[in-house]
Amino acid sequence: MAPRISKAVIKGFIWFLMLYTVPMLILSMSGVPVDLFPDYTELLGVYAAVTVFFVVAAELLSKTVFQHAFNMAKAIVMMVFFVYALNGGFVTVDFAAIHISVDLRVYLAMLLAINFLGLAKSALQALNFISERAETSQHPR
Amino acid sequence: MKHAIRALSIATTVLWILTVFFSVTSIYSALKLSFGFGELEASASSEVFTMSLPFYINNGGFYDISDLNVTTDINSRDGMRISNSTTLIPLISRGSRVDRAHNISISMDDIISKDLTDLLFQDSVFDIDMFVALKYARAIPLQLSSNTTMFWGAPLANISIGEISYIPIPGNLTHLKIIVPFSFENHSSFTLDGTVRLELVDVGVGETSISVPPMTAYSTQVEVVVRSDARTPTEARAYFETSAFSFGPKVIPFG
Repeated sequence: MAPRISKAVIKGFIWFLMLYTVPMLILSMSGVPVDLFPDYTELLGVYAAVTVFFVVAAELLSKTVFQHAFNMAKAIVMMVFFVYALNGGFVTVDFAAIHISVDLRVYLAMLLAINFLGLAKSALQALNFISERAETSQHPR
Repeated sequence: MKHAIRALSIATTVLWILTVFFSVTSIYSALKLSFGFGELEASASSEVFTMSLPFYINNGGFYDISDLNVTTDINSRDGMRISNSTTLIPLISRGSRVDRAHNISISMDDIISKDLTDLLFQDSVFDIDMFVALKYARAIPLQLSSNTTMFWGAPLANISIGEISYIPIPGNLTHLKIIVPFSFENHSSFTLDGTVRLELVDVGVGETSISVPPMTAYSTQVEVVVRSDARTPTEARAYFETSAFSFGPKVIPFG
C-alpha cells in the first residue's frame, strides 16, 4: 500500500508541474501578459487540479477495475471542462477598449476527439480487465 | 481487444502531441506578429473627403493569416451612418510583411442625401466603429472590434457677413459698388480651393476666389455691382464651388 501511495503522490506532483507550473513559467517568460487573463489562468489551475486528482485516484486504485472507471470519468469530466472553459468554442476577451472574439471550434473538436478516444480506450481496458478476471476465476491455475 | 487498446493509445498520444505542438506554435507565432500605423493623411477632391491610414502587418510566425478584412463605420452622433469603408487583404504569408492604407471616405452625396449639410458649417464628433476579421492558420477565425470618436472640423465654420458699405464707381452715375465683408474658418484638415459666389437677393451677385489652408481663418471683401436705385439687401446667399465639394445656397444673415 505504501509504495502505491508514494507512487501516486510522485505522479500527482509531476503532473501538477507539467500542467500548471511549467506552462505558467513559460507564459510569463515569453512576455504574455497573464495578469490580463485571470479567468484563463484560473481555469488552467482547475484543469491541473482535476487531472492530478484523477491521476492520483487511478494510481491508488491501480490493478482494479475502478482504475479504468476513474479514467473513463476523467475523460467525460475533461470533455465537459473543455466545452465550459472554451465557451463552446467561442472565446471572447475584452482588452482595454478592444473586444476580441476567437472561434476555437476546430481546436475544441481536437480536444474532444482526444478525450473521446481516451474514453473508448478506458472502456475497452475495463472490459478487458473484467474478462481476464472472469477467465482467471473460471480456470484457476 | 489488446490490439484495439494499443491502437487507441497510440492514436491518443499522437493527437495529444499534435494538439500541444499546434498550441505552442500558435502562441509563439502570435507573439511574433507585429503591426503598426503611419500618419493619418486627409484630402478632399471630386466631392469626396478621404482619410488615409497607412498600416503594416509583419507576420513573423509559422502560420498564414488569410482573409484579413478591416471595416470602418462612421456614424453621426444621432446614429446615422455616414460612411462605410473596407480594406481586404486575401493573404499574409508566414514570414512576410504587408503595407497597406485603409481609406475612410465620406462623399458629399452621402452628406447631402442624408440631410447632413450642417457638417459643412458646424464642427461635430463622429462615432467610429472599427472591425477587423481574419483567419489564423487557415483554421481559427479571429475578430477584433473597437469604437472610438473622431473630431470633424467643418470646412465653412463660423461663416458670417459684416457690415456692408456702398462705394460710388468713378464716372458711373447709374451703378455703385457694395462691399460685403465675408469670412469663415476652415476647421477641416484639407485645403479649400475654389470660388464663392455671393448673391444679395434681388440686388446683385459677386464672386471671389478662395484658397484656405486647414485650420485657418479666412476673410475677404466681395464686391457686388448694383444699380444706384437698388434697395437695401436683406438676405445673402452663398454658393460654394470647390475642389472638395459644390454646395449652395447657404443663407447668411447680415451681421
